[in-house]
Amino acid sequence: MTPKEVEFERIYDAPAEKVWQAWTDPSQLKQWWGPDNVTIPECEVDLRVGGRIYIVMEATEAMGEYAGTRWPMEAKITELEPNKKLVYEAKAWTEGDEDGTTIETVQELAFAEENAKTKMNLKATLNKVGSKAGMAVEGMKYGFSQQFDKLEKYLGREA
Amino acid sequence: MVEYTLDTTFNALADPTRRDILRRVAAAELSVGRIAKKYDLTFAAVSKHLKVLEKASLIVKRRKGKEQLVSLAPQAFADASAYLDWYRQFWEQRLNALNIYLETSNKNGGE
Repeated sequence: MTPKEVEFERIYDAPAEKVWQAWTDPSQLKQWWGPDNVTIPECEVDLRVGGRIYIVMEATEAMGEYAGTRWPMEAKITELEPNKKLVYEAKAWTEGDEDGTTIETVQELAFAEENAKTKMNLKATLNKVGSKAGMAVEGMKYGFSQQFDKLEKYLGREA
Repeated sequence: MVEYTLDTTFNALADPTRRDILRRVAAAELSVGRIAKKYDLTFAAVSKHLKVLEKASLIVKRRKGKEQLVSLAPQAFADASAYLDWYRQFWEQRLNALNIYLETSNKNGGE
């Protein structure tokens, strides 16, 4: 694992087909995709290799100064195996500042069903991070010693 | 102050030799010569790695007599690390939401 990848494994209490549909059927996807306090005004999935995924998150009034801010994500599907595998190259940005905020990732999803449960693995690789994307984490400040602890942990994460 | 972006930081960190150099200079300030001796690489190749790290603001160099000393510059690293934490949390949240969605739609008999 290189330092710009994040990987997750989850077991969902549902058959693979259901989990697959939750990811690929826009009417289901929009019900869980966004964090609290956002709506999903646009959600399209053209489910084929080369097809496009387009999802827009929009901040509600509850997000105060961010209200109305739109965060689109546009992706191109590069691999697809129904109920098993979905890989797409995604670009996400803040509307109005595409240059500064764009992040490019490759997201790989693998689904494996066992005893009516589904093990899902997600790997997201950050390939490009816009110069202002870091503002998303502004406010998260680390003490000096903590920094070194984190450094150890981070650099220790070798394949 | 050198301008740096998360992108240059991540690219600099993508290489295992450069991560190894960072580990060494995080522990102690080292001369370029001493760093170069640790690797089976030409001096020029090690210099190049150091240049990439310096451009990404992950290290700083200072001159002491004839030597160039290298030490860790933690800020860029902390920014990259914080970003990755944020990104990870974002996905954690999303995957939990998927779990809740699947549980509720199960109870409602699906669809």
